[in-house]
Amino acid sequence: MIQLHEVHKSFTVKDRKTHVAKRIDAVRGISLEVRPGEIYGLLGPNGAGKSTTLRMIAGLMDPDAGSIHVCGHETRQAPEAVRGCLGYLSTDMGVYARFTPRELLRIFGEFQDVDPRIAERRGMHLLEKLQLADFADVKMEGFSSGQKQKVSIARALLHDPKVVIFDEPTTGLDVLTAKTVLDLLGIMREEGRTVIVSTHVMPMVEDICDRVGIIFDGKLHGDAPPRDLLLSRRAKTLDEVFFQLAAESEVEGGH
Amino acid sequence: MRGALLIAKKEFLELSKDRKTLFFAFVLPFLLYPAIFGMMAKMAKRDEAQNRGKASRIYLADASGALTGTLRSDPKRFELVPKPEGDLRQAVRDQKLDLVLEADPGAMEALQKHETFSLTATVDESEHTSELALRRVKEALRNQEKSWIQTRLEGLGASPQLAEPLKLDVKNAADPALEMGKVMGRILPYLLMIMMYTGSMQHGIYATAGEKERHTLLSLMATRLPRNQIILGKLLYIFSMGVIAALLNLLSMGLSIPFMTGGATSSMQALAAVANPMTLGLTFMIMVPLGLFFSNFILLMGIQARNTIEAGSAITPGIFLVVFLGVFTMAPGVDKMPFLTYVPVVNVCLSLRKLFSQQFDQLEYLVAFAMTVGLAGLMTFVSTRLLNREKALFKA
Repeated sequence: MIQLHEVHKSFTVKDRKTHVAKRIDAVRGISLEVRPGEIYGLLGPNGAGKSTTLRMIAGLMDPDAGSIHVCGHETRQAPEAVRGCLGYLSTDMGVYARFTPRELLRIFGEFQDVDPRIAERRGMHLLEKLQLADFADVKMEGFSSGQKQKVSIARALLHDPKVVIFDEPTTGLDVLTAKTVLDLLGIMREEGRTVIVSTHVMPMVEDICDRVGIIFDGKLHGDAPPRDLLLSRRAKTLDEVFFQLAAESEVEGGH
Repeated sequence: MRGALLIAKKEFLELSKDRKTLFFAFVLPFLLYPAIFGMMAKMAKRDEAQNRGKASRIYLADASGALTGTLRSDPKRFELVPKPEGDLRQAVRDQKLDLVLEADPGAMEALQKHETFSLTATVDESEHTSELALRRVKEALRNQEKSWIQTRLEGLGASPQLAEPLKLDVKNAADPALEMGKVMGRILPYLLMIMMYTGSMQHGIYATAGEKERHTLLSLMATRLPRNQIILGKLLYIFSMGVIAALLNLLSMGLSIPFMTGGATSSMQALAAVANPMTLGLTFMIMVPLGLFFSNFILLMGIQARNTIEAGSAITPGIFLVVFLGVFTMAPGVDKMPFLTYVPVVNVCLSLRKLFSQQFDQLEYLVAFAMTVGLAGLMTFVSTRLLNREKALFKA
């Protein structure tokens, strides 16, 4: 279970030309709830605040205001407990290329306090699911980005997390690998896990997400099932909804 | 602490997968020092043998013939050559000659009158062969002078001891161990510091800014390991690499000493006397907090940096600081400045210098040790606090 209540986060950046420090509100009062067995799709353009929101949920960043609860733990008070019950994957995560997938999973199993035998069994099971078992003992130096992404997925799921956060999991992947990832998301829902996935790929959202939230300028719009969102906006596709919200957001920003 | 040990284990496992780095870090020192020292010793010996067996080429301008016989009587050491064309100074600089000796034209007459005559030697002090020629000439002249004085005294019917009122007998109070200890005391702290810093530098950059550059740091942070454990694990790895590098290099140097001394028993005995377990133990004990201090600096710079280039630019100038401090503490007279006991890093070098020079001062050592431990602890506290910040970890 994930619960966000009025979460705010801002950063201070320095203008290189004027040397003046500027405050950027990356997340502005987001509240949402994702239940077990549900896949929540977080949409939004680049820089809208998706990754910051996901990093806060994962206990990697602290919110400036508001609260986030994951598996019953408050992220600021018990970040380690939060990270222990969730699996986090982001596109800008690399793999330790000197290791083989098996070695990497063994090491991360230790980090996540998983029994070595269970980590080995579960790791191999995940690699098989991701069609990477044949490469379990090959150094990752020569792996394609898709293969590395699969290893990262296995790493994120190794400790059998109740909550899964995938930040743009299909970016840069070929169609076949992307499908493998989507199938895995479906399996995770069936297993009763709480899943948040951020993406730019609208058809993927329509296909697999139970509910969708769209972030513009750090604010959450349209937190509803994809079909409800289409009906309420009288749109045929989520792309249309996305463009409508973008236009509204621009008008809001202009005022 | 379990998390820190797991992170350090991961770093070492990662290192173990890189054969080239393993070779350069652990095997090369054992090949390099014996090769370098052996070659240096061989070249020095060959040079010495060549010079010893070769007569110095001297142009002697001695119209009266007062000295010609003296130099000609020792053809093994002196070869009298004809006057070269052109300027004599230039001829010496061009190594056509090793030395030019010009005697007063009235030298013989002055000798007979029991007067003093003058001599001028032109040498090139930047050349070893020219310096050797001067040394040989001085020795030959000293003997000749002695013989002339004795003849003069005999002619006057005086005792030959008249011109020698005293005879100085020099006895060396230092045994070979003390001499070697003083040399080691000067050089060792400098070498240890350099080796610890450079030995941990590259590994530190790889484990910090390198992780950011390869986008792997986020995957570590997403585990249940507490952040300060991740930072401490990295610190432990950087520190261990520094200590390992210093110990391996020193061990290799120690093993290379027989190559340098040609296996001379006296040198080996002196070395064994200096490198006793007590001295080595005290050296190691004080180098641990110093290594921790260096590792903290590397960690701090590495994690704050956006990439390995930025980290390298921030960490490399530290070498110059370490070299400067090392060279400063090697200077003569530095050990007599009492306030340096309270200057961090410098006081470690000075107490080690005294330790090896058989002038061990317990209080100075304890002050240096306590200050370094305090400094290392403070740095560890500061770096874990600073590096825990989102700003440092997400800087990219």
